[in-house]
Amino acid sequence: MDSNKKYWKGLEELNKTPEFVEKNKHEFAEPIPIEEVLSGGGLMGKTPRRDFLKALGFGVGAVTLAACQKVPVHKSIPYLIKPEEITLGVANYYTSTYDGSAILVKTREGRPIKVEGNPKDLLSKGGLSAQAQASVLELYDTSRVKDPQLNGTDSSWSEIDAFVKSKLAAVVASGKTISIVSSTVHSPSTQAVIAEFIAKYPTAKHVQYDAVSYTGIIKANQNSFGKAVLPHYNFDKADIIVSFAADFLGTWISGEEFTRQYVSNRNNKSLEEKKMSRHIQFESGMSLTGTNADVRIAIKPSEEGVALVNLYNAISGTTLPGSKKLTTVNADKAILLVAAELKAAKGKALVVAGSNDVAKQVLVNAINSLLGSYGTTIDLDNPSRQYAGNDGAIVDFITQAKAGTVGAALFLDANPAYDYHIATAVVDALKNVGLKVSFSDHTDETAALCNIIAPNHNYLESWGDDSSVEGYYTVMQPTINPVNNTRQAEHSLLVWADSATKDYYAFVRNNWNTSLLAKGGLSGQAGWETLLQTGFVLVAPVAAGSYTFNYDLNAVAQTILGQSAKLAEGGKVELQVYQNTAMRDGKKANNPWLQELPDPVSKVTWDNFVAMSPSDIKKMGLDEFEVVEISANGYTVTLPVLSQPGQAPGTVSVAVGYGRTAAGLVGNNVGKNAYPFLSFLNGTFQTNASATVKATGDIFPLSQTQTHHSFEGRNIIREATFTEYKKDARAGSGKEGEEEKMFDLWENTNEDTIHARPVYDWVMAIDLNACTGCGACVVACSAENNIPVVGKDEVGRRREMHWIRIDRYYSFEQNGEAKVDSRSGKVTQEKEIEKLADFSNVTVVHQPMLCQHCDHAPCETVCPVLATTHSSEGINMMAYNRCVGTRYCANNCPYKVRRFNWFNYWNDSRFDNYLNNVHTQLVLNPDVTTRFRGVMEKCSMCVQRIQAGKLQAKIEKRPLRDGEVKVACQQTCSANAIVFGNRNDPNSEVSKALKSERTYYVLEELNVKPGIGYQVKVRNTGTESLA
Amino acid sequence: MRNISLIIKQFSRSVLLVAGLVVVGLTAHAQTDAAKGEAIFKAKCTACHKIDVRMTGPALGPQLTEETDDAYLTKWIQNNQALIAAKNPKAVKIYNEYNQAGMTVFAELTDADVGNVITYIRADWKKIQDDKAKAPAGGTVVAEDKGPSALVVWSLLGVIVIAFVVILVLNKVIATLERLLLNKKGIFEEEEVVVVEGEKAPVDKLAIVKKLLKNKKLVFFLVLCAVVGLGSFSWITMWNTNVHQGYQPVQPIKYSHQLHAGAMKIECQYCHSGAYKSKHASIPSLNVCMNCHKVVKTESPEIRKIYDALGYDPNTAKYDSTKSKPIQWVRIHNLPDLAYFNHSQHVTVGAIKCQTCHGQIQEMKEVYQYSPLTMKWCIQCHKRTEVNGKGNAYYDSILAAHDKIKKGEKVTAAVLGGIECAKCHY
Repeated sequence: MDSNKKYWKGLEELNKTPEFVEKNKHEFAEPIPIEEVLSGGGLMGKTPRRDFLKALGFGVGAVTLAACQKVPVHKSIPYLIKPEEITLGVANYYTSTYDGSAILVKTREGRPIKVEGNPKDLLSKGGLSAQAQASVLELYDTSRVKDPQLNGTDSSWSEIDAFVKSKLAAVVASGKTISIVSSTVHSPSTQAVIAEFIAKYPTAKHVQYDAVSYTGIIKANQNSFGKAVLPHYNFDKADIIVSFAADFLGTWISGEEFTRQYVSNRNNKSLEEKKMSRHIQFESGMSLTGTNADVRIAIKPSEEGVALVNLYNAISGTTLPGSKKLTTVNADKAILLVAAELKAAKGKALVVAGSNDVAKQVLVNAINSLLGSYGTTIDLDNPSRQYAGNDGAIVDFITQAKAGTVGAALFLDANPAYDYHIATAVVDALKNVGLKVSFSDHTDETAALCNIIAPNHNYLESWGDDSSVEGYYTVMQPTINPVNNTRQAEHSLLVWADSATKDYYAFVRNNWNTSLLAKGGLSGQAGWETLLQTGFVLVAPVAAGSYTFNYDLNAVAQTILGQSAKLAEGGKVELQVYQNTAMRDGKKANNPWLQELPDPVSKVTWDNFVAMSPSDIKKMGLDEFEVVEISANGYTVTLPVLSQPGQAPGTVSVAVGYGRTAAGLVGNNVGKNAYPFLSFLNGTFQTNASATVKATGDIFPLSQTQTHHSFEGRNIIREATFTEYKKDARAGSGKEGEEEKMFDLWENTNEDTIHARPVYDWVMAIDLNACTGCGACVVACSAENNIPVVGKDEVGRRREMHWIRIDRYYSFEQNGEAKVDSRSGKVTQEKEIEKLADFSNVTVVHQPMLCQHCDHAPCETVCPVLATTHSSEGINMMAYNRCVGTRYCANNCPYKVRRFNWFNYWNDSRFDNYLNNVHTQLVLNPDVTTRFRGVMEKCSMCVQRIQAGKLQAKIEKRPLRDGEVKVACQQTCSANAIVFGNRNDPNSEVSKALKSERTYYVLEELNVKPGIGYQVKVRNTGTESLA
Repeated sequence: MRNISLIIKQFSRSVLLVAGLVVVGLTAHAQTDAAKGEAIFKAKCTACHKIDVRMTGPALGPQLTEETDDAYLTKWIQNNQALIAAKNPKAVKIYNEYNQAGMTVFAELTDADVGNVITYIRADWKKIQDDKAKAPAGGTVVAEDKGPSALVVWSLLGVIVIAFVVILVLNKVIATLERLLLNKKGIFEEEEVVVVEGEKAPVDKLAIVKKLLKNKKLVFFLVLCAVVGLGSFSWITMWNTNVHQGYQPVQPIKYSHQLHAGAMKIECQYCHSGAYKSKHASIPSLNVCMNCHKVVKTESPEIRKIYDALGYDPNTAKYDSTKSKPIQWVRIHNLPDLAYFNHSQHVTVGAIKCQTCHGQIQEMKEVYQYSPLTMKWCIQCHKRTEVNGKGNAYYDSILAAHDKIKKGEKVTAAVLGGIECAKCHY
C-alpha cells in the first residue's frame, strides 16, 4: 500500500519550479555539451577532421614521450629502532577523551587517523558527534601556529617564558589584576593548574565564559534550589518531553548523550514492547530536535515566555499576574493539552527550554518541580560540568580591562574578539592591557590582538583529563609527538607559576595519584596503567534527590512577560540566533569536513543564512537566496535568505559560528558573524532580538544539497502513527495488504551458485525512528574512507562526494483523513497542496541514503568494463582502477548514491584548503585507496573493515562473531540507528532487526533487491491533535 | 623467460654441487686423519675460530699456512699459556695482537689429535681457496640473466631471415618457370633497360633493388614481416610494462639472504616479523640486526654501515641518536597502491611458504623479484590453491556451506570469493 503523504525535499520540488524540473532530468548538473558540438556545425565543418588528426598526432606523441621514463625507484626506509608496540600495517588504539567523552584514537605507524567512541563511555556508549569525528583533521591543519610568537614574530619558549614572567611580576608589583579568560574548563587537572597559578599570583582571576552560554540555567538553579549547577538530564526516564526551543538532540549541552537516551524510548526494542515516549517541541526556527518531534509547534520567540507562563498556570491551576493568551490559536490550545498530558505523566515528564534567560529557566524549574521531575528526569546531585561559564564574568572583564585595571590577560580556548557580542569593545579593552597571551594554536581573532601566542598542543598531542559529569573522570593521553613547536597550555602556566612540578604529565599523574585514581579503586603505577587502558574512572552516582522549588514566581512572570512584549515590537521581525549542528559555536570553523557537512535541517553547506518562513518570503517578494540586510541591536549584516519550512512566520533565524576572519585557510570569510546580534540583559546573553529585514536585490546562491539526488516523487518514505502501530505493527510498511508476487530474472537464485551467498550476506538495517539526522555518520564515513572535500562551488554543482547522505523530507501535517484525495488516496494534485500548505506546520523524516548493495544491481548491468560487480558476500563492489568513467552506473542507480571524481582532489591547487598538501594527507586511511579523477565511487560497506575482521578471526582460528565488524557510520551513531551484519546468520542483530514488521525496502517494487532494510518511522502523534 | 634462466642456473648449480660433493668424498676417503681432525675442530675450536675469517681468534686457514712449524703449533694448542709464560716471541706476539685474551688450554689433545686438526684446517683452507678461484665461473652464469630478451629478438630476426631466403628462392623459381613458359610460347621478353656498356656495373646494383621493389609479393611480405615483428615486439613489451620480474637493484648494504636464511638457517620470521601478523612483511629495523651484530662480524665494512646508521660506536658500545640516519633500502616488491595485499592472510592463515612467492630466498645473495606480481599471477594461484581449513574453526562453517554447493569439488581460494574485485581492491 502506498503512503498517502506527499514528501518533498525542498520548496522547489514541492512547487515544481522550472529550474528544478530541468535539473532533475539529469543525474549530473552539467551535461556534456555534445548537443552543441553536433548542432553547431561542429562535425560538418572542414576543420574538425584536420584538428582531430592534429590533436591525435600530438596526443599520441605526448603520451609516448610522457611514458618514456624510467620506473621510479621506491625506497623502503625501516625504523632505526622500532617502538615495541608498533607493527607496521596494524592499527593501535589508545584511550583518550574528547570534550569529556571517552574515546578511542586509532593510530597507524604513530599517526592518529581516526577517532572512535569508547563503547563504555558514560555519555554516548560508543557514539560520537560529527565534531569529535572531524577533530582528528585539526591535528594536520596547516594553518596551525608552528612556533611560539612574541609580538608577531617567531620566538623560542625560553624567550617567551622570560618575557611573560617578567611582565607578570611587573603586573603584580603594579597591583593590577591578571585574568585567565577561558571557556568552561572541566578538566580536574587543568583546574588544579589554574588554582596553582592563582596561588602564585594572588591578583589572578579565572574568568570562564562560553560563547554559547548556559548561565541562565545555572543561575536559575541557584535561585530555585540554591545549587548553581547545570543539571544532568535523563531523557530516557521521560515518557513525555516538552521542549521550548532546546535543541537537545543536537547542540544543547550534551547532544550525543541525550540522543542515546531519547532514542532508547523510541527505537525498535522499545516499540516492540509497545512503548514510545512523546516529544512536543515549541520553537521558532526549525532545529534538528524539532524535526524529530512528534508534534512541533512553531511559535515566535516572544511567545515562548507567554507559553511557559500559560503552561505553568495550566499545570499549577493558579494564574500568574499578567498572564495572557497566545496570539497563535493553535499554540494556545496546544499548551492546555500539553499541560494535561504532562500532569498525567507526573514523575515521568520533562520540560526543557533552550533559552539562556534566567527568568524563563526559573519558570521551567517551577514547572518541572510541579511535575516531580527532580530526582527522576532531572538530576541535580550528579550535575553536568560541561558548561560552567558565567556571562557576567566576561562582561566584567571587558569593563575592567577598558578601565585599565587588568594588567595581564591569558586566553585559554577563548576567542572573545570573535564571539563577544561587541567585538570592538574587546579590541578597545585589550589596548589597555599590558600583557596579552593567547594559548590558541591558530592566530585567531583574539590571538591577533595579543603580544604573545603560546600555542597549545592539539588534544591528540596532550596529556590531560576531563570530567563532563560529576563522578565521571576520563583521561587524555597523547597519540603522537607534537607536530609543531607547541607546548601544552597547562605546562606554560606551570612554568610561569614557578610550580614545583613543571612537567604537565607529572602534574596529571600527581593529581590522579592523590585524588582521582582512588575514586575508581585504583592506585599506583598499576592503577594508572589500568586507567590508560580503560580510559575513565566512574564513581557510582549519588542517588538523585528531589528538590522543592522555592522562589517568588510573580516577579519572574513579570520579567518574562515584559521581555516578551519588548521583543514583539510592532513592525519588526523577531530574530533568533542559534547554533547549527555542524558548525556549533564556530571554534571548528577551519575544519573542512564540518563545513561540507550539510546542515541536517537546511542542507546548506559552507555558509550561514537568514532562515525565513516561505510565507514571509512571499510577502516580502524575495527571491530564493536573495541577500537581505538584517539589523538588530545596532548591528547590520547582509546574508542570503533561505525559505525554511517550519519557521514561525514573523521570525528569522541566523546561525552563529560563521564569519570568522582569522580561523585559517578553510574557515575565513565563510558566512557572516551572528554573535553581535546577542545582547547582555539581566546577567545573561540573550539570543533573541527584534530585527528589521531589508531586501537588497542581490542574489548569493547557497550550496544547498537538499534537492540533489532526487527521487522524483517516488514513494520511499514510510510512516505510521504510534496508534496505528499498536493496532498493526506492519502499519505503514506497505506489507499490510496482500503480499505481491515478485519475479526473478535469474532462475532458482537460491540454488544458483553464481548468485548464492553461501557464507556471508552483508546487509544493513536502518531504523528511521532512531535516526535523528545529525550527520555524524557522514563525517565518520569521510574519515574512514578518505572521501574528499570538494568545496562550496563544487557542492553547488551537485558534486559533493559523501558516500552516505541524510535525505530530509518534509511533508504537511495531516489532520485526519480529510485532506487525502478519496479516489487516488494520494495527495498529489496542486490545489490539494495549496489547501494543506501551512508552511509553519510541516513534519520531517530523515533518511540515511547510501549504496543499497542491491542483489540485482542496476549499476552492474550497465557498466561496459565490469568495474562494478557483485561479490558472493552480497556486496556491490567497485574496482576503481577498472572504471573508465562512463558514468552509466550513476545514471542507472535508482538511489542516486554513486559519486564521480571530477578532479584529483588531493593534487589540484583548486582544493588547497583540504587535502592538497603532504601534511594533511597523513590523515588518510592507508587501507583505503584514494580515487583518481574520472572514477566513480560509492559506499563499499567498509569492505576494508569486513576483510580485517575476517582476517582477525582466521588468525585467531574462530568464527567471525556478530557485531565484531562495525561499519564506520554504524559505529559513530549514538542512536544505534544503523545495524550491520550477516543476514545468513539467523541470530545476528541485523537479521533480527530485518525481521521486524516495520521493515521495508526502498523502491522494493523495482525488484532490485536492496540489501538495506529501513524501518518505518513511527510518530507518537497522540490521541488528540495538538497542531 | 625468467624460468629458462632459472633452470639454467639451477642446473649449473646442481652440477657444481655434485662435483663438489664428489671432490669432498674423494678427499675424505684419502685422508681419514682430516675427518678426525674435522670432528675435533668442530667440537673444540668453532666457538672462537673460523677457517677463513677472523672471529674471537685469528682465521686459522691463513694462520696455519703461514706457520709451518707444526711442533710449535702443537705446543701452542696444547698449552698456550705455558708458551706465553716462557716468553716464546711468536706466542707473545700473537697474544698481544689479540688483546691478551688467552686461548683455552687443550691439554687433553694428543699430538696425533692436534696433527689431525692441523691437517684438516690446511686441507679445508685449500678447498676454500680453490672454490674461490672457481667462483667467477659461477658468477658468469648469473650475469647472463638478461639474455632471454635478446634471445627473443635474435630468434625473431632469424625467422625473418629464413623467411626472406625462402622468398628469394621461391621468386627465383617462379621467374625461371615464367621465363620457361614464355620461351615455350615463343614470346621472348625484351630487356626494358638499355644498357650502356661502360656504366654497366653501378647501374646493375640499383637495378636489382628497383627490380626487387617492383616485386609486389616481396614488398608485401616484407611489410608483413615488419608488422608481425613490430607487433609481437610491442605486444611483449606492453604486457611486460611495469612487470619487474627479476628486478635486482643494488642495495645500500650487501646483505645476503643466502648467508642468513640459508647458511645460518635463521627463521624468516625473526626479521620479517610483520609477515605473520600484518599486511606488511616489513624490513627489520636495525635493532633486530644489532641483536647479533653487536658481537658478530663487528669489523665488516657492511656491518659498519649499520653502526653508522644507528650512530653506534662499537668501541664504547654507545648509541648517539644525533648521528643516526636511516638506511634507504631499495624496494624490490612494488605492489601498486590500488591492490591490497596482506601477508598474514597468506603466511599465517594460508600457511604458504615464503618461497612460493619470493623464490629460493635462502639461496639469494642479492634478492631479486622472483614472481611477476601481476594480477594474473595472483588469480592463477587463487584458482589453483585449495583452502586448507583444517584445524581452523573459522573455516568450519564456511567449508560446510560450500560443501553443500560444491559436492566434493575442491574448494579453492577462488571458490571462497578469492577472485572477487573487492577482496583486493578497495
